[in-house]
Amino acid sequence: MPAPFQVDVVSPEAVVWSGEAELVIARTTEGDIGIMAEHEPTMAVLATGSASIHTGTETVTVAVHGGFLQIYRNQVTLLSDRAEIVEGDVDEARAKADALRVAEEEDAADETEAQSE
Amino acid sequence: MASAELRLVRRRIRSVKSTMKITSAMELIAASRIVKAQSRVEAAQPYTNKLVEVINNVGAASGGVSHPLLETRELSHAGILVVTSDRGLAGAYNTNVIRMAEARLIELNNQRVDLRLYTVGKKADSYFRYRGYQIERSFLGVTDTPGYGDARAVANTILNDYAQETVDAVEAFTTRYVSALTQTASLWPLLPIQPPEQAEGDEEAVTVGYSYEPSPEAILDRLLPRYLESSVFGILLEASAAEHASRRRAMKAATENAEELTRILSRQANRARQAEITTEISEIVGGAEALSVG
Repeated sequence: MPAPFQVDVVSPEAVVWSGEAELVIARTTEGDIGIMAEHEPTMAVLATGSASIHTGTETVTVAVHGGFLQIYRNQVTLLSDRAEIVEGDVDEARAKADALRVAEEEDAADETEAQSE
Repeated sequence: MASAELRLVRRRIRSVKSTMKITSAMELIAASRIVKAQSRVEAAQPYTNKLVEVINNVGAASGGVSHPLLETRELSHAGILVVTSDRGLAGAYNTNVIRMAEARLIELNNQRVDLRLYTVGKKADSYFRYRGYQIERSFLGVTDTPGYGDARAVANTILNDYAQETVDAVEAFTTRYVSALTQTASLWPLLPIQPPEQAEGDEEAVTVGYSYEPSPEAILDRLLPRYLESSVFGILLEASAAEHASRRRAMKAATENAEELTRILSRQANRARQAEITTEISEIVGGAEALSVG
């Protein structure tokens, strides 16, 4: 059994998920990254997509749009403006993440509209 | 038949009592909102703390952080963000912030610095508009329960202006929630971003070599705007908690005043009633006297 390590998924409004996991797979701007215990300290920028957290007994899928991934002292932190736990598989999480991206783009559009008024 | 005075006093008692019902209801509502607002402030803490941690790590690793958002420019255009509430009846909550901000505006104006004013909340908007200040951007309807999207909108506006060099520095005037009894208006420098304090003297973090994807600079480039957003979010959340706390206190005072007033008024009413009875009796006695004499 792989060694567990601490994982936190944090968004500005709440701690989305926190607990121990054996494997984390996340999508960064450079590509997918798989993390197991004792990973070297890393800082990465998250892309729009899904992150799966495998705890050994279950798999938690989180839809993520932007943010950062930090691995430090055997602790993994996913910092994201928009992160939501998704019931279902990776594809659904990706779809959800895309929805989050669209939502943000709409916000941005509203924003520019309001500004041009 | 009740005399004119008695009727007037009774009418006032009724009116004071119905006002009291409103103020005490508002007090209860504000009290329940404080709890909610406070828990939102707390919920936002982990994100901000982690962000600060990451910024410090990146800063330490890339050796001497340099980024447009961190550089102090010569001040010729200043941005002022004033955070107030949309609704009144919150005691001196809005007045305190506005007075502090206006003092700063006048000071900057005397130094011949151009001003750009951003306001959050209807109170600041109408105050400064009425006094002929030009408001660059006004955000309404966010103070009751500020969302992260609201903070993002505020932060983006400021960042855009900063990037276009229409402002060289941005200061926020807001109310800090110190405790349920104390809320203080205070100044919060937003831009240029002041590198946040290293939390709990975590010296060891500096020596750790991170691997970066893509590069420390690229990460910093994304981190700092997020940091500004989360600062603004923190400001809005705290201001909202402070607003509810001030309102609760103001309404509590109003309810107590109303109670005091009803006490005084009912004493007055009793005296008026007694005077009336006395007059009536003396009239009857006087009348009977007159009859028996005759």
